[in-house]
Amino acid sequence: MKSQNSVTTGFRNKGRVQQKSFVMLIVFLIVFIVFSIGCSVAIGQVNISLGDTFRILLYKSSGMRLGSLDGISQASFADIIWHIRMPRALMSMLIGAGLSLCGVVIQASVQNPLADPYILGISSGGALGATFAIMLGFSIPGILGQMGVAVWAFAGAFGAALLVLAIANVKGKVTSVKLVLAGMVINALCNSFSNFIVYLANNSEGIKTVTFWTMGSIASATWDKLPLVAVSICAASLFFLTQSRILNTMLLGSEAAVTLGISLNQYLRIFMLVSAFVTGIIVASCGTIGFVGLIIPHIVRGVMGSDHKRLVPVSILFGSLFLIWADILARTLIPQSELPIGIITSMIGAPMFMYMLMKKGYGFGGK
Amino acid sequence: MELRAENMIVTLANTDIVNDISIKVKNKQFVGLIGPNGCGKSTLLKSIYKVIKPKKGSIYLGDLDVLKSEPMSVSRIMGVVGQFNDLSFDFTVEEMVLMGRTPHKKFMERDTEEDHEIVREALNKVSLTGYEDRSYLTLSGGEKQRVILARAIAQQPSFLVMDEPTNHLDIKYQLQILSIVKQMNVGTLAALHDLELAAEYCDYLYVMKRGKLMAQGTPKELLTSELIREVYDVSCEIYTNPVTGELGIAYMPFS
Repeated sequence: MKSQNSVTTGFRNKGRVQQKSFVMLIVFLIVFIVFSIGCSVAIGQVNISLGDTFRILLYKSSGMRLGSLDGISQASFADIIWHIRMPRALMSMLIGAGLSLCGVVIQASVQNPLADPYILGISSGGALGATFAIMLGFSIPGILGQMGVAVWAFAGAFGAALLVLAIANVKGKVTSVKLVLAGMVINALCNSFSNFIVYLANNSEGIKTVTFWTMGSIASATWDKLPLVAVSICAASLFFLTQSRILNTMLLGSEAAVTLGISLNQYLRIFMLVSAFVTGIIVASCGTIGFVGLIIPHIVRGVMGSDHKRLVPVSILFGSLFLIWADILARTLIPQSELPIGIITSMIGAPMFMYMLMKKGYGFGGK
Repeated sequence: MELRAENMIVTLANTDIVNDISIKVKNKQFVGLIGPNGCGKSTLLKSIYKVIKPKKGSIYLGDLDVLKSEPMSVSRIMGVVGQFNDLSFDFTVEEMVLMGRTPHKKFMERDTEEDHEIVREALNKVSLTGYEDRSYLTLSGGEKQRVILARAIAQQPSFLVMDEPTNHLDIKYQLQILSIVKQMNVGTLAALHDLELAAEYCDYLYVMKRGKLMAQGTPKELLTSELIREVYDVSCEIYTNPVTGELGIAYMPFS
C-alpha cells in the first residue's frame, strides 16, 4: 500500500506543477503581449525614441493626467503614436486573437486539422462583398454608407457562411464532411462572381484596391473601428473559454460524444455561427489574413496538447502575439513602404507548418 | 439496473435493419448479442445508446425512458464501448479517460482531485497505469480499446453497452477485457463475434439474423450445431472442452 500512496502523491504533485506552469505561461504571454504592443508603437518609419513613446503613452492612456508632453521634440509624434500606431497595434492583437480562436473552434467542429476560419466560404464571400462595393461604387445611404466596403464585406462573409451552413443542413444532420464540401463549393462560387465583376468593370484602379484588400491589411485601423471588433472578439473568447469540455468531446466524433452526453448537432450550429460572425467582422475590418487561423492552433497543440482547457486560452494569446509581430514586420521589412500583412503571415506560417509536418512525432496534438 | 428494449424497429435508407426486436437485460446480467455480419446488431445497439433514432419501439433503463431523455441523463448511467474510436486529433491517455467524467460535470465545473482519482483507478483496472501521458494515437489496437474501456469505467455507469469490444485484439486482451467487464458487475449488453467467448462469459444470449430475433436462451441450451448452421451457414460440432469444462465449438471447413 505504501508504494501506491507515493505513486498517488506523485501524481498529485505532477498535477499541481502542471497547473502552476500553465498559469505562469499565461502570465508570461500577457506580459509579452503588453511589451510587444509597446514595441509595435515605438517602431516605425518615423523614428521616435523609446522614452518619448513611453511618455506619450502614459500621458494619453491616463486620460492626460499623468506626465506631460513638454519637451517632446515634435508635436506630431503624439498623433503618430496615439492615433496611428496604437489603434493599429491593438487591432492586430485583436485580429490575431480572433483568427486563432476561430481556427481552434472550426478545426474542432469539423474534426479536421486542415480547416481554418475561412473554410465556410467566409474569405471569398467577404471578398465578393468588398469587390462589389469597390468596383460598382455601391454604397448604402445613411450611416451604413459611411462604412461602405466593410459593411458589404461583412454581409458577403456572413451570407456565405449562412449559405454553407444551410447547404450542409439539407436533409438531416450537419456533418463535418458536408460542411467542408459546402465551404469549397461556396468558395468557388464567390470567387467566380468576384472575378466576373472584376472582368466586367475593367477598372484598373479598382482592381488594385481589390487586390490589396484580399491580401489583408491592418493599415486602416483607427480608434473608432476598434470597439466593434474588440467587443465581438472578447465576447466570443469568453464564450469559448467556457466550452472547453464540449470542444474536447467534439474531437471524439459525434457518436462518442453522444455516449458522453453531448449531442453535437446543436453545439455545432452555435459554434459555427459564432465563428462565422467573428470571422466576418475580422474580414470586414482588415481583409483576409491567411494562415493565422490554421497555423497558430497547430503550434499551440504541438506544445500544449489537444485539451481545449489549455488550447483555447493559449491560442488566443499566442495568436495576438503572432499578429502584433507580423504587423511590425509588415511595416518595417521594406523601408519607406508597407507590405500587406497577409503576405507576411503566409510567408512565416507556411514554412513553420512545413517544419511541424516534417518534424517527427507531431500527431495533431499528441505530446 | 434493468434494460428493456421492446418492439424495436430501426429503418435506415428505407430498409428495415432491425425488425421488431425485444430484448431484456436483467439486473447485473451479462447478455450477449450474436449473429452474422450485417444482421443488425450494431444498429440495434446504436439505437439503444441514442446515436440512431428507432422508427418504433421503447427503451427503458431502470425507470429512465431512454428515447425521451436527454443524452446527458442517459450517459450518467450508461457507458458505451463503441466500435470506431479513431481520432483526427491526438489526446493523452489521461485526457481521454478524463472525458468519461463529462456526463457528471456541470457547466464550467472543473476537474477535481476525485475525478483524477477515478481516472487512476480506471487505468489501474485495465492495467494501463503509467500510460497517463502517452499519446492515444501511438497506442496499439489493444491498448486503445482498453483506454476506451477505462473511459467507460470512469463514467461509473450502472449499465454497459459494448459493440464487439474484442475486435482486433489478441487472445490475452480478449479475455482480459471481458473479465474486467464481468468484474464491474453491472448489467451489460455486448455484441460479440466469438461464440466460445460468448458462451463462456454471457449469462444469456440473443441471436439475430437479417434484422430479426431468431432465438434466445442461456448459452448451453442455445448453442447447438443446428442453430449455428441455420444462423451462420457453417457446419460445426459442439463439445465440452475437456480442459476447461466450458462449451467448445469445432467448425468444419468448407469442402
